[in-house]
Amino acid sequence: MTRLLDARGLFAGYGGMDILRDCTITVSAREMVVIVGPNGAGKSTAMKAIFGLVKIRDGRVVFDGLDITNAPPDSLASRGLAYVPQEHNVFATMTVEENLDMGAYTRRSGVAEAKSRVFELLPALALTRRQRAGELSGGQRQMVAIGRALMMQPKLLMLDEPSAGLSPKVLTEILEAIATINAAGVAILMVEQNAKAALAMAHRGYVLAGGANRFEGPGRELLANQEVAASFLGG
Amino acid sequence: MADFVNLYLVNGIVLGCVYGLGAIGITMIFGILRFGHFAHGDMMTAGAYIALALVWASGMPVLWVLPLAMVLTAALGAGVHWAFYRPLERGTNSTIIIVIASFGVALMLRSAVQLFFGVDIVTYQRGFQTPIWIADTIRILPRHLWIIGLTVVIVIALHLFQTRSRLGKAMRAMSDNPALARISGIGTTKVVIAAWAIGGALAAAGGVFLGIDTQLSSQMGWNLILPMFAAAVLGGIGNPIGAALGALVVGIAEELVTYPWFGDPLISPAYKSAVSFAILVALLIWRPTGLTRGRVF
Amino acid sequence: MDPSTLGLILYGLGLANLAAIYAVMALGLNLNWGVTGLFNAGVAGFFAVGAYTSVILTAPDSPHFLGGFDLPLPVGMLAAMLLSGLLALAIGATTIRLRSDYLAIGTIGIAEIIRLVLKNEEWLTNGVRGITTIPRPFVGETALASELSYLAMTLAILLLLYALLEAALHSPWGRMMRAIRDSEATAAAAGKNVNARRLEAFVLGSMLMGLGGALFAHYLRYIGPEATEPITTTFLVWVMLIAGGSGNNRGAILGAFVVWIIWSATELLTRQLPAEWAVRAGYLRIFLIGLLLQIVLQRFSRGILPERNPAERGAMGPQDKVL
Repeated sequence: MTRLLDARGLFAGYGGMDILRDCTITVSAREMVVIVGPNGAGKSTAMKAIFGLVKIRDGRVVFDGLDITNAPPDSLASRGLAYVPQEHNVFATMTVEENLDMGAYTRRSGVAEAKSRVFELLPALALTRRQRAGELSGGQRQMVAIGRALMMQPKLLMLDEPSAGLSPKVLTEILEAIATINAAGVAILMVEQNAKAALAMAHRGYVLAGGANRFEGPGRELLANQEVAASFLGG
Repeated sequence: MADFVNLYLVNGIVLGCVYGLGAIGITMIFGILRFGHFAHGDMMTAGAYIALALVWASGMPVLWVLPLAMVLTAALGAGVHWAFYRPLERGTNSTIIIVIASFGVALMLRSAVQLFFGVDIVTYQRGFQTPIWIADTIRILPRHLWIIGLTVVIVIALHLFQTRSRLGKAMRAMSDNPALARISGIGTTKVVIAAWAIGGALAAAGGVFLGIDTQLSSQMGWNLILPMFAAAVLGGIGNPIGAALGALVVGIAEELVTYPWFGDPLISPAYKSAVSFAILVALLIWRPTGLTRGRVF
Repeated sequence: MDPSTLGLILYGLGLANLAAIYAVMALGLNLNWGVTGLFNAGVAGFFAVGAYTSVILTAPDSPHFLGGFDLPLPVGMLAAMLLSGLLALAIGATTIRLRSDYLAIGTIGIAEIIRLVLKNEEWLTNGVRGITTIPRPFVGETALASELSYLAMTLAILLLLYALLEAALHSPWGRMMRAIRDSEATAAAAGKNVNARRLEAFVLGSMLMGLGGALFAHYLRYIGPEATEPITTTFLVWVMLIAGGSGNNRGAILGAFVVWIIWSATELLTRQLPAEWAVRAGYLRIFLIGLLLQIVLQRFSRGILPERNPAERGAMGPQDKVL
């Protein structure tokens, strides 16, 4: 399979300090890849660096054949790369429908079709379409955040800890929704604190520690790997 | 009762309209650019005097030249941003630095007006207007009707723009969550220029209406800063309709405290401007998010 | 000495006196802004409160305003500082924990209230007419001796303040203040009571502005409500601090002298012009000082004397805005 996302040898961080040290993440088309690891391992930073939100000091990011290293984030939505941040990931004062409209901001046409496809993939959204996003529950808000990102019909959807702060039941719903989206053909790159659940459903996984790659392999293998389980997966 | 409405309530509403047009600009800039624009009052002064120049040049009544004045002040707003605020956006502590710069811009606008027009008081037109009578007791001046009517039209137009148009929604999105707006591909430049253009245009309208209602002076805009900020905070920062409503409250409150409720007004009319300050302090202590729960930032 | 030389010397001494007084206020503003990062937009208010307090307490009895306490000058000046400090405490307690813009509008508001009180409470202040029966030390000798003595006093005060502030800045208190300015989140995490410290700096700085007001009133022997005019007080002191080098006391003093000399020199120049031009030139002067501020902010944001140790400012951490 051709590599959709090829981020190689990344050194990145804030100010003068590198958080990522020679980090490499790749995702192929239609793949689901998960990034796990202990706190402070640089998982979120890796995703932000790929999306141009954290400055990359060294290394390269190639997406769909295009070099997007340190590209401005607002140029990426129209290239097929979508990102759902962990926090503040909806427009709280706008309705669900308006959130989706904003997701499709760079589209010239086809907004209505994109919207109906999103409602197909995430049926719960349709019920709340006229409600303000800020008034929804955590799980519903997360759906809106994902829906917004899907409006551009991205090739790769990046999610930063989608389960953060959600109850186990809602967590399952979110992960199922993500699986559905992946099945519909969208590649997924996901940072997850809930490593077990994530690795169980992923094609491949990366384990990061100290900003560097420690382990890599098919999800189930990593799950079964004793060393990984003991050191990094915790509970 | 008639006096109450004619002399105080109507005046309060008119004042509220002037405050509101400025407060909308302030709250928009607060929301999208994240700083308190202290030069906004003087931008209203500039707009009022631009209209005056147009009146002198064309000989037409001021309401006819208002649209052009609004366009020119919109350009002024965008120009001020480009020359004085945008270059400061990259530094550390940029917010406070930009606020300091806005004080300097306020001074520059005011002194430029003084340079070209002097400090004497001017008016758009001379002479009295005969009031219009409603139901034999309510008396309202035609110019007040114009001010209130036009303000309502402008505010409705703005609301429609913000809820129906792509750019308007983008402005709301950026005010709501700038990081997410960027991630969604919303380009900052267009939204920012729109905010300044709209802010400038509305400032011109507010300045002209104030000039119509009272007179023009180089200090006219600076004196509005306190009530406009109070209105913006009251309505919830980032919420233009909230700012308009907050301004109405502030304007009416200012007039009502000078009404002889029990034979004497609640406070001396000389202290009218203390009202907005009191409202502001009360809000900041108890409810900085304002009535509509805007962001505190 | 021939009169024109004497006149020149007296002018120069007058310049120095006022520059030194502004330097005192710039030191106060540096406490607010340079050291702690607080935006005090109401300098004129604290200045006026200090001026009027000292005047009212030290002036002889008068039917025009509340006088007759006849207290000695040092008492007046201390009271000036005390009252400004109390006012700063009142406004700071409500707005310090909020964003800088809110502190700015709060201080603007307080300056406005002060202006209204000074203008309207004629029993207290003689309203717009101002007060002219202000005692001044070292008077009764020659003009030269009087100017020199006053200058000696203000310079002594200035140097004392400078020494105290420098000592404070190099103390643990000063380091903590800088830590709070540069990264509030880290300081708070380290258990420092950020808001209490900020309030301290705000009150202390405002006290110095009140002292400046008192020194000003006793020097000019006149005070009126136009003392609360933002241009010549608030704005000018801000330009002085930023141009001189915000964040450090030497810069504040240097900025005060440099900007005051430029300001006065331009006033001299405009007065040479024929009357109608002089008035217009006056406005141009203000326009240019506003423009000067923009240029300094954009190009020379560190000021003439930048803060000594940029490395002290600490590396950016993850809490700094990246998005």
